[in-house]
Amino acid sequence: MKILFSLIMSISLLFGVDATIDVIKKVDTLPSIAIEDSSTSYTNRFKLKFFKVLVADLNVISLFNVDQNYRTTEYDNGDVVFENKDMKYVLRYQLIESDSGAFNLEYKLIKNNEIILAKHYKIKNSSYNVFISHAVAYDINKFMGASSVEWMKKKVIFSRVVAPKKSEIVISDYTLSYQKVIVKGGFNLFPKWATKKQNSFYYTSLDRDKPSLFYVDIKKGTNSLLLESDGMMICSDVSKDSKKLLLTMAPKGQPDIYLYNVDTKRYKKVTSYRGIDVAGKFMNNNEIIFVSNRLGYPNIFSKRLDTNEVEQMVYYGKSNSACSVNGDYIVYKARETSNLFSKNTFNLHLISRKTDFIRRLTATGINEFPKFSRDGDAILFIKNYKSQSSIGIIRLNHNKNYLFPLKYGKVQSMDW
Amino acid sequence: MKKLVIASVSAALLIFSGCSKEPKVIDPSENGDSMVEEVESVTTEIINGDNTMTSNSPISISVAEGKFNSVYFAFDKFTINSDMKDNVSNSATVANGVASAYNIKLEGNCDEWGSDEYNFALGLKRANAVKKSLISEGVDSSRISMVSFGESNPTCNDKTKECWSKNRRVDFKLLP
Repeated sequence: MKILFSLIMSISLLFGVDATIDVIKKVDTLPSIAIEDSSTSYTNRFKLKFFKVLVADLNVISLFNVDQNYRTTEYDNGDVVFENKDMKYVLRYQLIESDSGAFNLEYKLIKNNEIILAKHYKIKNSSYNVFISHAVAYDINKFMGASSVEWMKKKVIFSRVVAPKKSEIVISDYTLSYQKVIVKGGFNLFPKWATKKQNSFYYTSLDRDKPSLFYVDIKKGTNSLLLESDGMMICSDVSKDSKKLLLTMAPKGQPDIYLYNVDTKRYKKVTSYRGIDVAGKFMNNNEIIFVSNRLGYPNIFSKRLDTNEVEQMVYYGKSNSACSVNGDYIVYKARETSNLFSKNTFNLHLISRKTDFIRRLTATGINEFPKFSRDGDAILFIKNYKSQSSIGIIRLNHNKNYLFPLKYGKVQSMDW
Repeated sequence: MKKLVIASVSAALLIFSGCSKEPKVIDPSENGDSMVEEVESVTTEIINGDNTMTSNSPISISVAEGKFNSVYFAFDKFTINSDMKDNVSNSATVANGVASAYNIKLEGNCDEWGSDEYNFALGLKRANAVKKSLISEGVDSSRISMVSFGESNPTCNDKTKECWSKNRRVDFKLLP
C-alpha cells in the first residue's frame, strides 16, 4: 500500500491558546526517532508495508523527526543499529504470526540504550494490523505526554462514487491502509456513525422511489429503513449521546433541517426558509450551526433549537457551503474563486467564536467535508486535486497537514 | 433483485477488546426493506399501417422519456433561464400527452463543484423550479416526485466549462 505523505504547510509548531493564530517554530527542534524491524514472520512485502504505516503514524503524531530508512536487527540485540546510534529514540518491533494465524506485535522504545516503553499486541485477524500500528503510535504519543490522539484509533466511514449513480460505503482506518466495503451495489451516500463506539451507522439510499435513511447495525448485520422523504434525506449529524439526529429533508421540495429523536422516532422542523437550509451540526445541546443561502450565497449560521433567532457565524468567503464545529471553533469550506480552472478553488478556514482571527488551513485544490475529531485535536477532510481524491488530516496544534490518497473512485462524503 | 451486500466488520470493531468474528453477509431484503428492482428497458417495435399507435395511446416508458427535454441551469443557480422555457413547455406537453399514463420523477443534478449537502440541495431546488413550472403549465402535482443526485450523476466528465454546463440539469424520468 502506497502511502503518500504530503506536507502542505511549512513545518512549524503552534503556541498559544487560540488555534486560529499561527506561530512558527523550526522543525529541527523535534527529537529524532528511527525504527528497527526484528520480525521473524511474514513476507518482506508485508513487513515493508507495515513499516511504512508505522512511519506514517509516527509522522502524524508530530512529535519526532522520523527516519524513513528501513533497518533490521535482532529483537534482543543490546545495541541499536549502527546507523541509528545518534538517534534520540529508537522504536524496535517484531511481528510474529502464531500457529493459529494470529498477528502479534511486540515493541520497545529505546532511549540512550534503555528501554523506556514496551508492549505486546495480539489480534486474531492479521488484516487489521494497521490498527495495531496506530495503537503503537497512540501509546508512544501518550507516553510522551502529548495531547491525546484518540482519533487515530477511530475508523473512518466514507462513500465512494465508482460510476454515475453507483457507489460503495467503505470502512477504513484514517490512513485508508485498511479498507472494507460494507455496503456494495446501488447508490448509497452520506454515511454517518450512529454511536461513539462506531458499531452502527446511518446512510442515505437513492435507489428507492424516495430518498431513504437506513440504519445498519454492524454487529447484528441488520439493515433497516428509518425514514424517507421526497427530494432529500440526509443524516447531517448525530448528537454526542447518539439520541438525536439532525436531518436534512425536503418533504415538499424545500430543503430544511429537522431534529429527530432516536427513541421516540418523532421529528420536528428546525428551520423554515424558502431557500436552502442544510447540513445542521450540533454545537451544544440547544444550539446548531448550519449552511443557508439566506444572504443569496451559501454561508454558515447558528440557531438555538428553542427560538427562531438565526445568527450569521462567518463573515469571510464568497461561498461557504460546509462546516464542522467543536466548542468555540468552527472549520468551514470557502470558495476562493469563481474561476473554474483555478488550482485553488475551495479551502478550509478555521475561526473562533471568541476572536476575529481567521486561519486558512489548506492551500490548493478542492477541500471539503471538514470534520473535527471528538477532542478537537484534528480535522479530517476530503481533498480533490488533479483527479485524485484523498482523505486529509490537519493537526491543528502542530500546523501540519497529511494526505492519504484513494486508489480509485471519488470520495463523496465521510465521517469518523 | 439488486441486492445490497452488507459485510459486517465487527471483528475490526473488536480488535482492541480481543474478540473477533468472521464478517457476516446479510441481504437487506430479508428484513422487509424492499429495494427497487432494476429491469431492462422495454423493447419497442414500430408498426406501420392500421396498428400504428395514436398520440393518446400509452407508449413505453423509454420512448416517452425520450420525448422530454432536460432543463439546464447557470452556475450556482436554480432559476430557469428564458432560453430554457421552451424545454419546460415542451416537457409539460409530453407529460400531459404521450406520458400521461405515468408519474414523473425529476432528477436534479449539479456540476462537480462540491459533493456536500448544499450541492444536493441545489440540485433539488433546480428540480423544484421545474416542478413549479410544470404545475403552472397544467401538470398534476401529485404525479411529480423529485430527487437530487448532486454531482454524482454526470453526463460529461471532461474538465471544460461546456462539459460542466451539461451536468447542471434536471432530467425527466417516468415511473409506472
